[in-house]
Amino acid sequence: MKRKTILTVVTSLVASAVFAFDPPPVGSAAPDFSLTDASGKTHSLSQYKGKTVVLEWFNPECPFVKKHYGSGNMQKLQEEYTSKGIVWLTIDSNAPGAEGNLSPEQAEKITTAWRTHQTALLLDPEGKVGRAYGAKNTPNMVVINPEGKIAYEGAIDSKATPNPADIPNSTNYVKAALDESLAGKPVSNPTTRPYGCSVKYKSS
Amino acid sequence: MMKSAFRLGAYAIVCLWIFALEPQGKSQTYQGKELVKAELLADTDAVVPGKPFTIGLRLRMAPGWHTYWKFSGDAGLPTEIKWNLPAGWRAGEIQWPIPLKTNDPGDIQTYGYQDEALLMQQITPPAKIGNSSVRLSADASWLVCEKICIPGNAKLYLDLPIASAGNPENQELFARWRRLLPQNLPEITSANWSRAGSDLRFSLTAPTLANYSTVAFFPLPPENTVVGHPKIESRSGNEIKFRIPIEAANKNLSSMEGLIVFGQQANGEDRAAWQIANGAIASNGGPTPAHGIFAFLFFGFLGGIILNLMPCVLPVISLKIFGFIQQAGQSRQKILRSGIAFAAGIFAWFIGLALLLIALKAAGHEITWGGFQFTNPYFVLSLGVIVLVFALNLFGVFEISLPQSATRGLLGWTGGQDEAGSFFQGVFATVLATPCTAPFLGTALGFAFAQSPAVILAMFVAIAAGMSAPYLLLCVQPAWLRFLPKPGPWMLHVKQFMGFLLLATLLFLLYVLGAQRGLEGAIWASCFLLMISIACWMKGAFFTPSASIRVRTIAALTMSILLLVSGVYLIGGKFRSANIASADSRLRSDWQAFTPERLRAELEQGHSVFVDFTAAWCLTCKFNEASVLESGVVREAFQHHAIVKLKADWTNGDPVITKLLQQFGRPGVPLYVLYPGKSEEPIVFPELLTKSMLLEKLETAARAVASQ
Repeated sequence: MKRKTILTVVTSLVASAVFAFDPPPVGSAAPDFSLTDASGKTHSLSQYKGKTVVLEWFNPECPFVKKHYGSGNMQKLQEEYTSKGIVWLTIDSNAPGAEGNLSPEQAEKITTAWRTHQTALLLDPEGKVGRAYGAKNTPNMVVINPEGKIAYEGAIDSKATPNPADIPNSTNYVKAALDESLAGKPVSNPTTRPYGCSVKYKSS
Repeated sequence: MMKSAFRLGAYAIVCLWIFALEPQGKSQTYQGKELVKAELLADTDAVVPGKPFTIGLRLRMAPGWHTYWKFSGDAGLPTEIKWNLPAGWRAGEIQWPIPLKTNDPGDIQTYGYQDEALLMQQITPPAKIGNSSVRLSADASWLVCEKICIPGNAKLYLDLPIASAGNPENQELFARWRRLLPQNLPEITSANWSRAGSDLRFSLTAPTLANYSTVAFFPLPPENTVVGHPKIESRSGNEIKFRIPIEAANKNLSSMEGLIVFGQQANGEDRAAWQIANGAIASNGGPTPAHGIFAFLFFGFLGGIILNLMPCVLPVISLKIFGFIQQAGQSRQKILRSGIAFAAGIFAWFIGLALLLIALKAAGHEITWGGFQFTNPYFVLSLGVIVLVFALNLFGVFEISLPQSATRGLLGWTGGQDEAGSFFQGVFATVLATPCTAPFLGTALGFAFAQSPAVILAMFVAIAAGMSAPYLLLCVQPAWLRFLPKPGPWMLHVKQFMGFLLLATLLFLLYVLGAQRGLEGAIWASCFLLMISIACWMKGAFFTPSASIRVRTIAALTMSILLLVSGVYLIGGKFRSANIASADSRLRSDWQAFTPERLRAELEQGHSVFVDFTAAWCLTCKFNEASVLESGVVREAFQHHAIVKLKADWTNGDPVITKLLQQFGRPGVPLYVLYPGKSEEPIVFPELLTKSMLLEKLETAARAVASQ
């Protein structure tokens, strides 16, 4: 009996390490998580059940992230949709010591300096949430519908470049997914190829 | 040192890269550090008008930094080159050298170049050049990453003199990088793509493959295709099979460009690669000879010939042969015409079926052979009706009309037209052959379903050709009819006996219906079949040419009413509402009904799970169950290792199970999978189980789990 318990623990540990990398497919239940923001407040996905949630993987050093913040594109999206009642969670899954990892103070500072409008900037230094969602890029975008199912995952828009000048001529997939989702329609383009820097995960 | 540099730069939003002019190139610096030196180099010291030469963009990266391949992988961006060439000059595609594959924490795979990369392009000058020299300029842009990523770009140019002859330049550099260009697939290679659910499967057999210790597939996915990491499914000798998960793509994606990279070690200097063109199977004259497809088409043809011997078709075929026997004395031309009409019937049906499948596939339906037909009870029922009517016809309950005398009767409804009669006979023979195709043509069809419409069509045409070959041969060489026995009373007995074979087929179909709709459903269906029999009998007894118009009218009316009422009541009402037999009713006590949640729950609890994907109409499944799964030793072994047994019943084509089957790349059942534990790869068994194989795997799986 005892052997079995140990076995279960070990297999589930191994399992979480092995299974963690594949992004859960669109339509499947979004894995629940619980992370703290810069002020130490805990946010869990389950607490936002019934609302549409956007997850955005973040790295302030990444040129692709800077493309969307430097131009104000990301802040504009955050402002527009949080005002419509959507929960926007920005997640930093970079490991301590790696580029883009933020301490709570640094996180506080950057949200002020960049005038961001997300619901919360969450710190995931262990990379657990990033791995659970198979997030490989910054920015990597996920939209979760009010039923807690993944409705969209992939890139923020259609032009995979670090050049802000490309933003006006690109299709914003997240905006499209949110608009369709809010209108009660199925998302017509639910999976796209994400682009950007790699998330700097802690080596496991 | 580096670290402090990063820290200094942290949270600085501005990103600076400064280019210092160099004699022949430019360099990208970041925070005082030179990251990339970019320059254009030619393989000649002078341009000869009209003679193509090569220019390379050489990127030299600081140690630890890399730029990216044409497909950058999970992160990064490919390098881009935009030429501003004088009028009349042309630049070819970038010739990408074989990249290095890098794995980063978080299962992030990227493809790129470290230290140095030379991206070559062929430049074709015009045949006449007025000037004595030329300036070729290009805008290059790239992303260079170490731990962090910095975009870079440069306006580069190269001045070259125009001359009547040139000498090679930068020979060592170009030779070194040309060695790293992928080659075309060797002639004697066979490469096959197939699509299985969300995975692409690629198998390659090449004569020298066994010599390399590492072999990998580097994908070049089309835009907006989200591709997972290619995995090696199996490798033995000169054959290797890859599975390439597709996370989002065009549904019809059936192959992918890429490289087969091989060497003695991953990312070794000695690495070499073969270029895999898109649609290695399509006959676009690409580098891959399509051995695979011809072999499968040949199987299709052979399968078609064999179809003539199947019990379901034999009766029709024998009728045709009787026809031939009776025609033996007739004009050769007449025989030829009738034979061709018969073959046309066969072709018409198969081509129609192929078009239907192509249309369904195009409409986004995932199609499988078994699922396409046998999971639909109405299809099974219609088949049952046809088989029964045919059997009654053979018994003589209603008129047997051989094509010659065919003025009435099932086969002769076209009113005496020999060719038309033969045509419909051909169609009929093939309709009846359909349920027999699965076991014989399964492999070939399974292959075809994953292919392009052209291949599907070619496959069905091959089957039709095989099936009609014997008749066409007899028509062309009517002299061979001599070898057939002389017509006589024995023909009647043979015909009646064929009727019993058809009834046996009917029993099997009823068994399938019973499995789909329960005992009640099968009985209601049988009632309908009884009504059909009565109608047939009435037709034979009263609806005869010798009967008066009045009798014939009454007979026809009664028959129509009988069929209509019984059809509406028995099939539209009773049969339709008969409870769909639940899988549970067919389970032995120690098997439990499969659901994905159930599987997950059992694995969560640390159990090993064996799943039997089966269906009532699947004879191979029944055979495996009786001879292996339910045998004493195997039952004991399951019990001994405390393995949970789940049965996934696909009799009614459950979509959840269909999806799982596709994940395992199977067009249908049987499928046997052992999940040793949550963290371990499931073990998939072959279609035909043996006790020893199953016991051995159960043993090893149990050991593997115990040792964790």
